[in-house]
Amino acid sequence: MKKVYHESGVFHVSGEAVYIDDLSINNQLLICKIVHSTYAHATIKSFDLSKAKKIEGVHEILSYKDLPAKNITGPIVQDELILAEDEVSFIGQGIFIIAAESIEIAYEAERLIKIEYEPLEPIVTIEQAMEKGSKLNPTQTMECGDVEKAKKESQHIIEGEIKNGAQEQWYLETQISVAVPGEGDDMKVYSSTQHPSETQTLVAEALGIKKMDVEVETRRMGGAFGGKESQANIIAIYAALLSKKTKQPVKLRLSREEDQIMTGKRHPFISKFKIGFNNEGIINFYEVDMHTNAGASYDLTMPIVARALTHAENSYYIPNAKISATPWKTNIASNTAFRGFGGPQGMLVIESAIDKIAYYLKKDASEIRYKNFYGIDDRNITPYGEIVENNRLYSIWDKLIKSSEYKKRKVEIDKFNKENEFFKKGIAITPVKFGISFNTSFLNQAGALVNIYTDGTVLVNHGGTEMGQGLHTKIRQIAALELGIDIVNIKVNATTTAKIPNTSATAASSGTDMNGMAVKNAIDKLKKRIAQVIVDEFNKDKEQTLSKIENIIFNNDYIFDKINTERKISFAKALSIVYKSRISLSATGYYKTPNIYYNKDKQKGRPFHYYAFGMSVSEILLDTLTGYVKMLRTDILHDAGKSINTNIDIGQIEGGFVQGVGWCTIEECKWDAKGNLLNNSPGTYKIPGITDIPDDFRVNLLEDAPNPNTIRQSKAVGEPPFMLAFSVFFAIKDAIASIGNHQIEPNLNIPATNEHILLAIEELKKK
Amino acid sequence: MASNNSIVSFILDGKIVNIDFNNNNKYTPITTVLEYLRSLPKHKGVKEGCAEGDCGACTVAIAQINNYNQLTYKAFNSCMIFLPQLHGKQLITVENLGTSNVLHPVQKAMVTNDASQCGFCTSGVVMSLFALYKNINNPNKKEIDDALAGNLCRCTGYRPIIDAATQACAYDGIDKFTKNEAEIISLLKSINKFSTIAIENDTQKYYIPFTLYEALKLKEKHEDAIILNGGTDVALRVTKKHEFIAEIIDISEINELKQIKVNDNSIEIGAGISLEEIKITFENNFPQLSSLLSVFGSKQIRNKGTLGGNIGSASPIGDTIPILMAYDASVILVSTKNERKIPLRDFITAYHKTEMEKNELIKSVDIPKIDKDTIIKSYKISKRKTLDISTVSAGFRLNLDENLIIKDIKLFYGGMAATTKRAEKTESFLIGKKWERKTVEQAMPIIFEDFNPLSDARSSDEGRKIMARNLLLKFYLDTN
Repeated sequence: MKKVYHESGVFHVSGEAVYIDDLSINNQLLICKIVHSTYAHATIKSFDLSKAKKIEGVHEILSYKDLPAKNITGPIVQDELILAEDEVSFIGQGIFIIAAESIEIAYEAERLIKIEYEPLEPIVTIEQAMEKGSKLNPTQTMECGDVEKAKKESQHIIEGEIKNGAQEQWYLETQISVAVPGEGDDMKVYSSTQHPSETQTLVAEALGIKKMDVEVETRRMGGAFGGKESQANIIAIYAALLSKKTKQPVKLRLSREEDQIMTGKRHPFISKFKIGFNNEGIINFYEVDMHTNAGASYDLTMPIVARALTHAENSYYIPNAKISATPWKTNIASNTAFRGFGGPQGMLVIESAIDKIAYYLKKDASEIRYKNFYGIDDRNITPYGEIVENNRLYSIWDKLIKSSEYKKRKVEIDKFNKENEFFKKGIAITPVKFGISFNTSFLNQAGALVNIYTDGTVLVNHGGTEMGQGLHTKIRQIAALELGIDIVNIKVNATTTAKIPNTSATAASSGTDMNGMAVKNAIDKLKKRIAQVIVDEFNKDKEQTLSKIENIIFNNDYIFDKINTERKISFAKALSIVYKSRISLSATGYYKTPNIYYNKDKQKGRPFHYYAFGMSVSEILLDTLTGYVKMLRTDILHDAGKSINTNIDIGQIEGGFVQGVGWCTIEECKWDAKGNLLNNSPGTYKIPGITDIPDDFRVNLLEDAPNPNTIRQSKAVGEPPFMLAFSVFFAIKDAIASIGNHQIEPNLNIPATNEHILLAIEELKKK
Repeated sequence: MASNNSIVSFILDGKIVNIDFNNNNKYTPITTVLEYLRSLPKHKGVKEGCAEGDCGACTVAIAQINNYNQLTYKAFNSCMIFLPQLHGKQLITVENLGTSNVLHPVQKAMVTNDASQCGFCTSGVVMSLFALYKNINNPNKKEIDDALAGNLCRCTGYRPIIDAATQACAYDGIDKFTKNEAEIISLLKSINKFSTIAIENDTQKYYIPFTLYEALKLKEKHEDAIILNGGTDVALRVTKKHEFIAEIIDISEINELKQIKVNDNSIEIGAGISLEEIKITFENNFPQLSSLLSVFGSKQIRNKGTLGGNIGSASPIGDTIPILMAYDASVILVSTKNERKIPLRDFITAYHKTEMEKNELIKSVDIPKIDKDTIIKSYKISKRKTLDISTVSAGFRLNLDENLIIKDIKLFYGGMAATTKRAEKTESFLIGKKWERKTVEQAMPIIFEDFNPLSDARSSDEGRKIMARNLLLKFYLDTN
């Protein structure tokens, strides 16, 4: 198949792509502004909206007292107030919503609103939450083998601690929604959401109307990365509430600073571990206690914790494990989904533990990693009981170690480090094994609706959303391949709840896997119907060698009988016959991921349909005086199964890796004691720029690696590459360690900013 | 003043657009070009990613007539330009380059290299690439990085964008704009560039004088007016803090402030020269200033920001100040009555405060030529290498005698105090001693006594101190 570009590429580059902020709504459009809490924890003693309401151009200001239905929402657990009542619990929590004729008027109104707070002591950090016993939820624990027995049998036991910071999604398009009222209770909501069905549900609940009254449409998002999985909902709710009240269309778009202050981030973790191993470095047991800052409400914290638990062992076989995670409730904006979804946090700890083993045994960490990989036929059961099938760790390792010349470069780096006092190089290889499927089994379902028109063109609807990842492109390709027609005759429609109901979020990397299968299912139905009509057509006036439906092939814009290939009709012409035969050219499709189950009480089961694998080797150059890190070279070999679109998959790998590098290095969120996010704008929060990528960046897909039992034998590719960035983090650590001749393990956490690198060097030099 | 002097004129879509702010309820003089474009039905390709010049999603190109009577095309952040600042220029947006059916070479390369994913940063990237396309044929990696450092992309990891840049910029800048250049030049020349533009409505005043004298007269009359010289800082007050600015005197169009005067012992750099131009022009004379500017903001910001603006705002982390102090630069201030020269060291008196009188403007910055015995170095440490404000910056000046004895040393640090501050204790320890590693290592801990920096979003106080201390050693190493 020839190269297929992103279906929106030509619209992106010409500025023609329509995002929600670009929609032409009528001139009655009002602008919504949220008045949010400036205290992390306080009681609201009084407030006065009277002056603000008098401003010309202000149409409505709502407080919790003015809501038409319940004042509670949330994606899984409903524990978030739509608008704060007499107590605020984080900075950025909505208290009032203003609808005005312009954003300037709304700002003016906001300035005239008086709120009298009585400040209370906030809980900001995990440590403070622990001290106060502020658990969001009881500790979740997963166990396998017998850790206590293993402790007695291990030749060596070491312990350690590792922290990771929060990470702001920093999608280029901030959260946005436009609500347009219709007749009766009808509400059309345009939302930049990864989860239109949930947005629909929560808007309906907040407005006290039915789901059938609410249509949520998402054509495309300007990036999401998990940040719009649950936290787009409140934005849509606010716009819809004001729209219902004013009976006018209302737009709510967060400013960048509002978005950074009000919405959640990747969960920060503090994890303590104990690990037992033998002289060879083979792990006997692993005990880890993860603690995470959930923020002010549940949001998606529990499934994120579930993924941290199920990824705590990464690619390594651990016979005896006790893996625990505790979410702590604090007074910061509720942390939420971000590419990897707890996986990176869980995997960071075992990678750090392995690194520590290497320092302890004075071996290269790559050796310890390799020795502990899951086996092919044995040593292949995860702590939650799933067997690691189709293990590709070894084939990736063998190829990447060679192609990256890891061993040779390691020697050269040692030489460089001996010859240079202030510039140090470091190198590391790290693996990724990532489980594909939502941890919550019932979410693994998807729907599609395929309409074929009589001119031979096809409009595909499915429940997945396009956030840049190329889902619609792949769906288009899948439809074209399955129908055997040219891609130009296929369009993927904007995602809307009116076409596909009850969908799951486009998340967990599962978009193409599930929606692709659902689309195929619909197309299979249509092909069957079409084939039946065409067989009848072929067999007209024939008595012998009749065409059979199972021999009908759809290919190259034609439909033909593979036995009697002269029996051939163009796709477009066939459709007109099918239509005149009064056969429906519209079909729904459905898919549920097979053979997955999980028992949350026992923390056992088979949560994942399959695993995606990848590995990365990174070499960095560190200026030990300034803490600057230069990424010299990164080699990645990643398993995308039989790729549907190699350029899109490579794009996901490169983009995910660079995002991961941002998290590991320069992206830092700090809160002050009062719960203010200090890095609340791009002036102080730095995502990678064009000079923050490896000078030499070699990304390849694992070849000849079809994945059984998935759409066109492909693999999900959205999240797994994020964690390939660990190779950069451990390369930095390696470079720092060379200052002390690799005798002392540097104390380095994520993010390794130049400040933290310098502090780690200071500490190391003092030892 | 004549009534038509409230009209701002510029070219968009090949035609002159006239906006009379005195008879207009749609736009104010502090409406940004981004807001203006997005209010039009056919220019929604330009995106707001941050509204503070830090992401580049709103990048547009602006063409102006240069000294050779040709058009030069530069990239700007449209979120940081007020509408009147377009006066006399051609505004070019992504829609002007091509359509989805007929793509410009840079657009086409972006598609075929898979350089867009979510697409929200893309039109900005395309416009930065367009400016690169028009200015540099077959750019190298450094030039590509430089052109795109101001455009953040969260999806792609940049590799395909770099490939697109490499592939697209290979046609000597020739494109559809080349054909129309003569026509655009003549249209631009028809726009008033002589009599002061005075926008005076009930609530706001915005002046664009074209001569220094006019500007000074205005400043005398409106002594509380905000001076806008480039405007990357002033724009933030509107877009980020939502301040209402009542009076602005925009001195960006004054030719007298864009002059470079080479004196016998010094070079006088006009306060209105863009930082990008300074970076290019002074690579030889003041290499350390030039090298600092290469990591100052982004190209979009340097195209707009001026030296006068950077100094005038007197920020404690103003990137250029430590190095200018190390160069022993002076500020030349003018009023209608007087012209005076103050050493930069004395000019900034406190956090965001200067010696400037209300009737004065910064005319230029005077930098003495460097004798061969003086060593000058600049350093900047920031979280991200480009498009970041410094955590710690430094400008160092050293004079040694023939026996390597330190005759004089001045260590200016930014980010370590409320204003740029010298490490005076460290300096006095070093003077008279030999410039060798042992001495420097003895001096390093003294830095800790010189400063008591803040902990903030960028770094802890401890981190800052280590950075400041290490830079001294780095300076030593760089002199050997």
